[in-house]
Amino acid sequence: MQRRIRHFLAAAALYLWSSPLGAQPPPEEPPEEPPPEPAPEPRPEEPLVPPPEPKIEPKPEPKPKAPPEKTAAVAKKPEAAGTEEEQPINKGKFTFGSYGRVIAATDLQGRPPRDADIVAHGSRLDHENYVELELRRDDHWFALDADTRFVATLALGHPVFHYDGEFDVRLAVRNLYAEERNIGLEGLSFWAGSRMLRGDDIYLLDFWPLDNLNTLGAGLGYEAKTHTKAHIHVGLGQPNNPFYKQEAERPLPLNQFGTATVAILDRIRWIGSARVEQIIPIGEEGAGLKLAGYGEVHQVPSGQRETAQAGVYQDVPKDDGWVVGGQFGAFLGARDTHVNLFARYARGLAAYGEFAAPTALSLDRTASDAHEILVALGGNFELDRVAVMLGGYFRSFRNASTDLDFGDVDEGIVIARPAVFFTDWLGLAIEGSFQAQQRGVLADAGQEEEETPSANPEPLVARVARLGVVPFVTPAGRGSYSRPIFWFIYVASFRDDGARALYPVNDVFRAREIDHYFGVGAEWWFGSTSYGDDE
Amino acid sequence: VRRHALFLSLLLLGCMDFDGLDEEIVLETHVADWRDQVIYQVMIDRFADGDLANNYLVDVSAPARWHGGDWAGLEARLDYLANLGVTALWISPVYRNVETDADVDGYHGYWPQDFTAANPHFGDVKGLRRLVRAAHDRDMLILIDVVTNHIGQLFFYDVNLNGHADEQVRGSGEQSEVFHINEHDPDFDPRGIQSETSLGESGPAPIVFKHDPATNHMPPEPPVLQFAEAYNRRGRTLDFEQPDQLLHGDFPGGLKDLDTTQCFVKDAMVESYARWIELTDADGFRIDTIKHVEREFWRYFTQKVRQRLAAKGKERFFMFGESFDGRDELVGAYTHNDLPSTEQLERENMCVQDGRAITGDQLDGMFEFPQYYQVFRDVFQYGLSTDRIQQLWTRRATRYGTTPTELGTGIPPIETLVNFMDNHDVPRFLFPSTLEGTPDFEGHHLALLFLLTEQGIPCIYYGTEQRFDGGNDPANREDMWLTGYAEDAPTFTWIQKLTGVRKAHSALRRGQQTVVWATSRTGDEEDAGIFAFERVSDDDYALVVLNTHRGHASSPVFQGVPMVIAQPEGTVLVDALAGGTYTVGAGGALSITLEPLTGALLVPQ
Repeated sequence: MQRRIRHFLAAAALYLWSSPLGAQPPPEEPPEEPPPEPAPEPRPEEPLVPPPEPKIEPKPEPKPKAPPEKTAAVAKKPEAAGTEEEQPINKGKFTFGSYGRVIAATDLQGRPPRDADIVAHGSRLDHENYVELELRRDDHWFALDADTRFVATLALGHPVFHYDGEFDVRLAVRNLYAEERNIGLEGLSFWAGSRMLRGDDIYLLDFWPLDNLNTLGAGLGYEAKTHTKAHIHVGLGQPNNPFYKQEAERPLPLNQFGTATVAILDRIRWIGSARVEQIIPIGEEGAGLKLAGYGEVHQVPSGQRETAQAGVYQDVPKDDGWVVGGQFGAFLGARDTHVNLFARYARGLAAYGEFAAPTALSLDRTASDAHEILVALGGNFELDRVAVMLGGYFRSFRNASTDLDFGDVDEGIVIARPAVFFTDWLGLAIEGSFQAQQRGVLADAGQEEEETPSANPEPLVARVARLGVVPFVTPAGRGSYSRPIFWFIYVASFRDDGARALYPVNDVFRAREIDHYFGVGAEWWFGSTSYGDDE
Repeated sequence: VRRHALFLSLLLLGCMDFDGLDEEIVLETHVADWRDQVIYQVMIDRFADGDLANNYLVDVSAPARWHGGDWAGLEARLDYLANLGVTALWISPVYRNVETDADVDGYHGYWPQDFTAANPHFGDVKGLRRLVRAAHDRDMLILIDVVTNHIGQLFFYDVNLNGHADEQVRGSGEQSEVFHINEHDPDFDPRGIQSETSLGESGPAPIVFKHDPATNHMPPEPPVLQFAEAYNRRGRTLDFEQPDQLLHGDFPGGLKDLDTTQCFVKDAMVESYARWIELTDADGFRIDTIKHVEREFWRYFTQKVRQRLAAKGKERFFMFGESFDGRDELVGAYTHNDLPSTEQLERENMCVQDGRAITGDQLDGMFEFPQYYQVFRDVFQYGLSTDRIQQLWTRRATRYGTTPTELGTGIPPIETLVNFMDNHDVPRFLFPSTLEGTPDFEGHHLALLFLLTEQGIPCIYYGTEQRFDGGNDPANREDMWLTGYAEDAPTFTWIQKLTGVRKAHSALRRGQQTVVWATSRTGDEEDAGIFAFERVSDDDYALVVLNTHRGHASSPVFQGVPMVIAQPEGTVLVDALAGGTYTVGAGGALSITLEPLTGALLVPQ
């Protein structure tokens, strides 16, 4: 909580991305949304097709964080005493940080627990185990009075060894970059490598509504003393999808035996982003306003792919897209109380997110007609022994194809988690949420399997209401963001006919109107750039 | 609570624009007289790709694979078809099919798996609704192709009782006979397919439905079709001349034959297909494989569909059938209104639950396969004598009957036969001549003149207007988009002219038909190859004269006897196609000479 307060208080010291040392990089987790298509959920227990990317994890709220004290504090340039060879050229340190969430849970009916949300970003209470391990090296260079940071973040997903007995791990590298700051100009920074770029999130939904990029590239940032920050970046990627790459076997040259694999289509997806943020302090208590503007451009060059008929090729047109959005926030500067309003519009390729490949194209075989409108709200209010976290969003996504289909979706959720702290370390939270989704299809949602469908199908509207009871222990003190947290989680989910119709035959979610989730576990974050603990 | 949930839903959701397609469909009658129509047969998978989102497993390089056409594509090309002058579209079956079987795809639509679900390759229910509505907005009608004879290859006969499908070869060929067992498609057995072991037969072989979602080899829908009793289970038809095999055998390719004498099967078909009309407001059915199904089924199916739709406001619902056979006595049996024996009728009425007894009504019309063989092939392609046209037409009243169906089109079947020169099951008209290196475009146009002026409802197979010339299936199922939908193509403009004249002259649509010249001569005679017929309505007249001879000009005159028509002397007729005028002589005689493979369409000046 203390950290949270600092975050919203010390506006000028706030760092989102690439600000020097204190960068407030987003926590883990690759962008879950917008997914290649609308929301991937509901997911069958055994998806026929593996998700396009490893499901990496959630993260806690963008960590408020006072700008870390510059290592320069200990890196005062020594007076010329003795020879240069005798002077240390830098002062550095290693840091270990982590975000983690682990839980032992069941559906109370003998099956493993399962995410019951139907919207793209639902309650995080039933999210599966996930941990990030961050190793970081910080150096201050006396000669330049500049700072260097190297960050490597490994993320591990469920299942863990003690669950399935498999001596194996789902592992992803979430950060691997080096950053330099204050070189040449105070407040200037640049970085290169593989990195998560994120702004503020809605903790309850595990969701970054405005900006959430996973990128391999480089960025340039500047932070002025006027509480103004700006950052631009250019990155690239090649998601593992035939939209980007097609390989074929060809004979080896020069009359050799055997074959070689040749990339027929091999195109890179370029992404550029820019963000400007202004903090407006109000009063002396750390309150203030936050304004942010954000944009992305995406581009994929044209290419050729081989058709099903060997030796016959088809042109693949270039594609592009863009995002524009903004954020308005207000914070009190005490106990992490804040509210953020986000609005975002994405067009074309960008509407699918950086890891996704469009699956329903326009007639010109581009994603040009796809678009997404998003409005979201998140906040936290704390007073004495009571705290309330809030969240919600509305999202309207249309894929690029000409007609309404299952991939076209309007959806939204409202969620609230009030909590009461009985002591400084013991409390009880109640989480309630209601989510609804409409797909671009007509359906007989209430039809029994053995019945002939009616002649009057209606637009599919699915609804899920969820109620959770969460007694918890927070040894670090009171606060919505106080971590670590140990908790029991019970959640009941109520599906209507439309929600059940989203699941395939023989899926228990198709049959169950009420579902349960019960588990005991813990969540933590410390010392991680992903959570602002970057000192 | 429910009210609050709805309110929250409204708050959370936007306004997904279903363009009124989420409203209950109100059935209406969109046709006044089916004789006014010009049908255009569309193989949906090959006509136009209007939505790339449904291009699943598409491979345009292989004729027997999915190619990506869909309802949205057809909708986008309705103006092209309206400009051609067609007024009704016969579209591929709309239900969900087996995806692929033995490396051939179900793109054609004749491998049903789920009679209740839309074929996702073509779109969804609202896409089909929109197509129908867009067609109606252009005064065009939609006919949906339906199959009631069989389902796709959805089960196998477990002959050796081992629980999975086998293909086996037994015997050594030396001291024992070699024979092949294919449990997917075993040879016809009038007793029903028998299971057997090394000790001999052991009773009827159980059928086992497959469960392969990837190829959609899944148990059929609606669920009542998952009963073994829904099928005849006698194996593959080997001899279509054997009635038992014709009616009860599986269609070649392992398409399992439904027992269409079962009441619950009849009801399942009525329920499934009437529902598609209730979902879409389409205007008629083209029905597949008629001769492989008992006539009792057609009586029940057609009557109950008509009654159900009429009760909801859809009248003059048109049902025509396909019997792939050149024998008009057989093909006509499915429109002829005659009652079966009393015993048979009693048995059939046992299926009736609504109190409306079965009558002799069957289909409203038939696909004129006999004419395809005896006229379009023999006369227009092979150059045989034109008197066979007259012979065929003379028999029509007897073969097809003259009694309109109750609640049907209101028109005698002989006037609503669906005429065609080619379709998706036979080589295109231009195929043989193109194969020989000299495409017969003149003969093609002459045949089109005949098709669009004779009595009945003309049906044009897609691509005819772009001179497609493919051979047998699947070569005759070309991709239409390769033509660019050119409206200045010579055959397009020819058909456009013919449909225009047809539309302008009620005689060509509704008039009675009389042959005024036919000949058995095909040599050097002066009338060799001539065929002429009149169409006469209350207030209109048309005379069609054709020279089918390929070698010389001919006239409807022989040994000084001229053609006599039903117009008074002095009447001036104008050729609506070429523009010349002709004056009727004494006694109604008309003199006209036509170059080889040309025709005249004469109407009052």
